[in-house]
Amino acid sequence: MTARDRNSVRLFVGVDRVAILLYVALTLFGLAAIFSASWNETSDAPLSLDHNYMKQAMWLGLSWVAAIVILLLDSSVWHKFAYYIYGFGILALLSTLAIGTTVNGAKAWIAIGGFRIQPMEFAKIAIAIATARMMSEYSFSLGKIGDLFRLAALLMLPLGIAVLQNDLGSGLVLGSFLFMLYREGLNNWICVPILFIATLFILSFVLTPVTLLVALITVFTLSAAMMMRDKWLLCLKYVASLFLASILLYLVLCVAVGEGVSYYATLFGVTLASLVAVVVYAFRKSLRQLYVIVALFFVSSMIMPTSDIVFSHLKEHQQKRIQSFLGLVSDPAADYNVNKSKEAIGSGGLLGKGYLQGALTRYRLVPERHTDFIFSTIGEELGFVGTLTILLLLAAFILRLMRMGDRQQETFGRVYCYCVASILLFHVLINIGMTIGLMPVMGIPLPFVSYGGSSLFAFTIMVFIAFSLDASTRRELPTYRYI
Amino acid sequence: MNEYGGNRWRIIIPRLLVLIIFGVLILRVGYLQLIDSRYESLAGDNYLRYVVKYPPRGEVFDRNGEYLVQSKICYDLMAVWRDMPRSGVDTLRLLDITGLTLPRLKNALYEARRSPRQGRLVAKYLSAEEKLQLDELNIPGLYTVPRTVRQYPRKIGGNLLGSVGEITDKMLKNSSEYYGIGDYIGTEGLEAAYEEELRGVKGLVLHDLYARDEAHDQIINHPQPGKSIVCTIDARLQAFAEDLMRGKVGAVVAIEPATGEILVMASSPTFDPDELVGRERGNNYMRNLNNPRHPLFNRSVKSKYPPGSTFKLVNGLIGLQEGVLKPNYRYSCHNGYDYGKIHVGCHEHSSPLNLDYAIATSCNAYFCYVFRNILENKKYGSVKDAYDVWCEYVESFGFGRKLESDFLGEGRGYVPDRAFYDKRYHKSWNALTVLSLSIGQGELGCTPLQLANLAATIANRGYYYIPHIVRSIEGQDSLDARFYRKNYTKVDARHFETIVHGMWRGVNVDGTCQGAKLDGWDVCGKTGTAQNPRGEDHSTFVSFAPRNNPKIAIAVYVEHGGFGASMAVPIASLVEEMYLTDSITRPWLVDYVKQKQINYYNAYDRKRQK
Repeated sequence: MTARDRNSVRLFVGVDRVAILLYVALTLFGLAAIFSASWNETSDAPLSLDHNYMKQAMWLGLSWVAAIVILLLDSSVWHKFAYYIYGFGILALLSTLAIGTTVNGAKAWIAIGGFRIQPMEFAKIAIAIATARMMSEYSFSLGKIGDLFRLAALLMLPLGIAVLQNDLGSGLVLGSFLFMLYREGLNNWICVPILFIATLFILSFVLTPVTLLVALITVFTLSAAMMMRDKWLLCLKYVASLFLASILLYLVLCVAVGEGVSYYATLFGVTLASLVAVVVYAFRKSLRQLYVIVALFFVSSMIMPTSDIVFSHLKEHQQKRIQSFLGLVSDPAADYNVNKSKEAIGSGGLLGKGYLQGALTRYRLVPERHTDFIFSTIGEELGFVGTLTILLLLAAFILRLMRMGDRQQETFGRVYCYCVASILLFHVLINIGMTIGLMPVMGIPLPFVSYGGSSLFAFTIMVFIAFSLDASTRRELPTYRYI
Repeated sequence: MNEYGGNRWRIIIPRLLVLIIFGVLILRVGYLQLIDSRYESLAGDNYLRYVVKYPPRGEVFDRNGEYLVQSKICYDLMAVWRDMPRSGVDTLRLLDITGLTLPRLKNALYEARRSPRQGRLVAKYLSAEEKLQLDELNIPGLYTVPRTVRQYPRKIGGNLLGSVGEITDKMLKNSSEYYGIGDYIGTEGLEAAYEEELRGVKGLVLHDLYARDEAHDQIINHPQPGKSIVCTIDARLQAFAEDLMRGKVGAVVAIEPATGEILVMASSPTFDPDELVGRERGNNYMRNLNNPRHPLFNRSVKSKYPPGSTFKLVNGLIGLQEGVLKPNYRYSCHNGYDYGKIHVGCHEHSSPLNLDYAIATSCNAYFCYVFRNILENKKYGSVKDAYDVWCEYVESFGFGRKLESDFLGEGRGYVPDRAFYDKRYHKSWNALTVLSLSIGQGELGCTPLQLANLAATIANRGYYYIPHIVRSIEGQDSLDARFYRKNYTKVDARHFETIVHGMWRGVNVDGTCQGAKLDGWDVCGKTGTAQNPRGEDHSTFVSFAPRNNPKIAIAVYVEHGGFGASMAVPIASLVEEMYLTDSITRPWLVDYVKQKQINYYNAYDRKRQK
């Protein structure tokens, strides 16, 4: 560092001003939307802290103070204290299990005075920092199984606590780290199966077990056939004999045992037995691809029942939301939020009904209109112009964060920026997706826009750490010019 | 590896992914907001409703500008469940104010709970005081909406004015498309007859359910208030006539001969029209409906009373016109008319007598001769053909058919035609068979309105204007053309003077109705005592005054009132005096009328109790 640098006011030197502008625009946009969603024209004291918008404004002020503090701090503290911060975050999460308050079925909140804080919001920062710290170790490699397990353990611990809190939505945010891991060079062979399993998990809700099993067998045999180009006929014979054998066995069992024989069990048993033959065949012919396919099939068939187990452990309202989203059951109560939100957004048109004029918002017909469904308020009152603006602001902000990550000199900073971008992307996708019926309803706020002090505060800290890391990198670039 | 220290694709693919995700979101939002118009109307369904705005109903004045019917404000109590306090409300006080029963209040609140965001009706017809009491309680979620209902300041003319009630399913099916469920419609009398003028035109607004004030309403049609109507009724006279008729069953109808305007139309017993307004409407209506004296039956226009001797006027006129009677024809009468086995009785009077005295003293025999002369006129070949001619004459006086007044539900009375007698007497009948028609008995039936019209026709010497109850309608220069047309009878004007003289003589010289005499007013009249096999005779009287340029023609009919002179004459005379002189010089006569007991009326009540 130069003497000139040390003596100057460091605060905004090197900070990405575009990102700051986007941040300010998003938070003010959010505050305006919250004001519209919670303003009551008959109120006597419009500036009282009883109002949501005043609370939010107060939190926004606090957030800016926190942001300045973070910019004043040396960015290396995050690297140094990463694991302490992580430990503190885990402690905070654990504390909710003991002293937490339950909101919407999730015991994920701590009440302090008149405010409620969701420790998960802050724990996400800690997890991101710790992840970045771990991945920036010199010897760390995503190609090493041991390192992968360490990383998995780091992520699974808070995820497990989130599941215990019954706050699966927040826990799933950690799944978005896959995005960051891909950037960091995670092997395609891991990315693809994870995505495949996720797809399977969702499909297992929709399809009956037998259908799913038949689909799996067909898909895997087809892929085996495609790998071993000259074995088409063999694969066909395999599939045909498999189904023939299973049907025959099923009929025999029906006659012999009588009731209680399911075709699913028969087909599954025959298939597993046939796998032994397939493995022996692969060993003899030295067909390594077949091992992979057999292993994948084995894992997939194991996962199918787990989805049922996981599902049965969900709370009833979560089950309903998922079923309603997948179109399995039509539950008016579960569809209500989404329908009203879609009506509000759809009725906005191009220019909207005007600020403070949204009828569905004003009359409180959209539930959670200032928190999770703030997007519907914007959509109704400001129309497509408003929703497009907010979406473009968010997209620009996320891309900006990714750009910051990519221009980092240190792995720590890059991983951290991508973590933040992943978290934001996940939040935006789930939150806006649910307001327009693309995603199931999960209690996940829209970053910077939704009402919620702890959320805004935590997101501010999260992104300003990234800004701070970016600023220190840029200050050290030889091409950087002081302004 | 590039400048950022990573694989090229590992940088590009995440960015592409971000762009794809936002692209999908933007496309979806754009589709919802710009292309799919379904949600716009769905969103509107949440909070917008078409609400009918009811115009205030037109008011009704009497001929002197006094209010007969006013619109008064009342309030409906509405509840929005969502805004009501969760801790509950002071139910006892609420019941006290609204007059509801607990089960009904519970039911109303249950309904409100089922649609918690909308205002639901809790209680109807709250008075201004009750509304203020509610305002004082200041319960959140409860509010009142103003409405207008009818009010009758003089509490007269229940049957005449009719009432306004919710439209029934049956009426809805038959009525025009204007009406909808829950609309109010005039059900009887004037309210029904001038429904289209009085109701105004409904307005329509697009109402914002959640905006409690009406400022947010989008007006589609403005409601047009109903037109006010000036009635031909003289409220003071009507009240007086109803007062006189109290305790009697019958009707008083008075007409201004020069215009056909109905001055009084009192049917007795009557009811307080205010009873059929508001919360107690249903109960009061049923009570009146079950009253054995049928107060809801408008006797003035719907009954079929035998006209009795008043009908002799018509027969005399027909005889004169046909030339079978001359004013100086004299017939003898010795306690009645005898021909073979037929005997029509009469009272003591000098004999023989000419036409004007026969009218004055109401000689039965004289008119039996006249009637036979009409029907046995050789000119027509047979009695039956002559009877057809007689029927035509009678109908030209307005009997046996509707007068086409503006009063809905007007009865036609009854004049038997030739076919009727052919059937009854197997085609074998002659003038003697139907002789009782000569003195207004037999099958004849007429409404008091027709009798009053007869008086007006004679007063006008041969023509009448169709009686009507409306003088003018706000915003209209004239009424229907039929009310301005002179309707001539088939009897020439020159024949009337003799009859008028007879009527004058009956009142002023030596007749049956000298009780109707008013000094200086030349009252003319004809009594009737309709014989009645089921009890005492009906008392009736038709009259007009003064003899020249008559101002009022009146018919009074009192069921079981005895002689015409005993009940109908004093009532008619008092009403005439009141109308002509604005004063009553015979208070003892008023007392007499009011205190007159008609014993037969107990039979009405007994009949019902069986």
